[in-house]
Amino acid sequence: MAHGSGYFKTTYEADMALVDTRLRRLTLAALVVLLAALPRVASPFSLELVTQTALAAVGALALNVLTGLAGQISLGHAGFLCAGAFTVGILVESVKAPPLVTLPAAALVGALLGTLVGVPSLRLKGLYLALGTLAMHFVVLYAASEYQARWGFNTGVSVPAPTIAGIRFRSGLQWYYVLVAFAALTTLLSVNLTRSRVGRAWMAIRDREIAAASLGIAVARYKLLAFVASSVVTALAGAVWAYYRSFVSVEAFSFFVTIEFIAMIVIGGMGSTLGALLGASFVTLLPYGIDAVVGALAPGGAAPYWLFPLKFGAFGLLMALFLLFEPLGLVGIWRRARTWIVLWPLRYAPLRSAR
Amino acid sequence: MSAGAALEVERLSVAFRGLQALNGVSVRASAGEITALVGPNGAGKTTLLNAVGGFCAITTGSIRLDGAPIHGLPSHRIAARGVGRAFQFVELFRHMTVLDNLMLGRHLHMRAGLLAGAVFFGRSRREQAAHRARVEAVIEFLELERYRRDAVDSLPFGVQKLCGVARALAMEPRLLVLDEPSSGMSREEKEDFARFLLRIKHELGTTVLWVEHDLEMVADLADRVTVLDFGQVIAEGPPAEALSAPQVVEAYLGRQP
Repeated sequence: MAHGSGYFKTTYEADMALVDTRLRRLTLAALVVLLAALPRVASPFSLELVTQTALAAVGALALNVLTGLAGQISLGHAGFLCAGAFTVGILVESVKAPPLVTLPAAALVGALLGTLVGVPSLRLKGLYLALGTLAMHFVVLYAASEYQARWGFNTGVSVPAPTIAGIRFRSGLQWYYVLVAFAALTTLLSVNLTRSRVGRAWMAIRDREIAAASLGIAVARYKLLAFVASSVVTALAGAVWAYYRSFVSVEAFSFFVTIEFIAMIVIGGMGSTLGALLGASFVTLLPYGIDAVVGALAPGGAAPYWLFPLKFGAFGLLMALFLLFEPLGLVGIWRRARTWIVLWPLRYAPLRSAR
Repeated sequence: MSAGAALEVERLSVAFRGLQALNGVSVRASAGEITALVGPNGAGKTTLLNAVGGFCAITTGSIRLDGAPIHGLPSHRIAARGVGRAFQFVELFRHMTVLDNLMLGRHLHMRAGLLAGAVFFGRSRREQAAHRARVEAVIEFLELERYRRDAVDSLPFGVQKLCGVARALAMEPRLLVLDEPSSGMSREEKEDFARFLLRIKHELGTTVLWVEHDLEMVADLADRVTVLDFGQVIAEGPPAEALSAPQVVEAYLGRQP
């Protein structure tokens, strides 16, 4: 992408910098200020929406590493989340473990589960792999519901607000900052991975396994690594989810959650970090958007009975439309818009020599 | 750059189900030389290259690189021994830029793992910059500067083929395996490629095993030629001798009535 003239780089380090132009520096600074100052201006409800979006973004970024970068289809995302959340629930309930124990434990459970699910990926591809990961989903959910039934938590396990370094996290404002920071950190790590040796190896495996092997990439090892990396972050997201909601129940991790996360990375734009963020925002906010529109159209009345199916329907319809008309997702739309702005008022890119 | 390694293929046989693709083939590529592998379609040239790269199982025989057996190793380990391959149908990572494709060629020489890559600061960042410099040297060597930031699938086919060679060269291989690199190239691109091939030989000293259909090019550039037909070696020697042997002429043109 041309940035126009005026930026002359003299080192490869400068060429690799993520924030390399004044416009990008300003945009980043504005974003940080906006996120930091938002609680002062926004209502608690919209703050809650941003918090939910941030948590969804972590999950979407983790799935994007596995499916978007490494090309391994997984239908087990809700299973990984569930495993992380129940690790917290069980440890808190049984031994009153503090977060500094439960969070690493959730990461460890994620890593083990990721390895377990990753092993079939060495042999299975596409649909067969998807079915393998789906099996894991049901095994984890079965184990979790057994735990609930056997230990007498039929409705779920409640998790008290966690205390780290003397701070008790329970207000919406605190969670806003925690989850936005969590999402920002995950975003940074994800961007870095995409431009590093391991991320490139994953994309190589996604695009052409044989060619990847011919370059000395240990395909099996890197596939496993993708499963482990993704499931560790997902299980951590599940663990944080448990604390944030202060309640863990198996019903929250239905297969529909997996579909939602897949929708996020498909609608956002597969393989793109920005896409995962846009997709997470879109899918999280869509139901509230529909509520708002319906509320505006039918003021005063109670929510009409057809609102609920409408939400599901809109969701499915949008996903189909994106697959048909915009396979590159929201990030594809954004790239086209950016090109249009850069070129305006002309329609075509200048000749190469003019760049 | 590391100098070339000698490749010795001894009595190699490869069978796919009932089809005997290679039958007791022996090929030798001496260190630092260009060895061409020619033959009509279906002679088993690509199969031989696949066997060398570990992409297909061999039935009998041996493949040695500088005396060390490499047959039976998985392909990524063979690559680590110093075998770089440019494929006939390119096999580049289409959505990535030329730069990223070549950076993947540096995979074996880089160390950064998952965490180092995710943090991307200090050592892993310096490593990336250092290897970027090596990639730029390859880009300069093959005159690909203007395509550096282009996605591979937006490039003309001839340029894509050259990128495939560039990616293999970025590995700094001791044995460079080229599968019909010049097919799909225009006249000018072929002439450039001939020059690059000679520079690889003289300046880098890399051993080249080269499958080629353009016999004129082979006659001009190769040090030795092995001719395959129906999975067997039918002639071997310097280009002038090997290509004019009667059995070679017959394999290409048929018997004179």
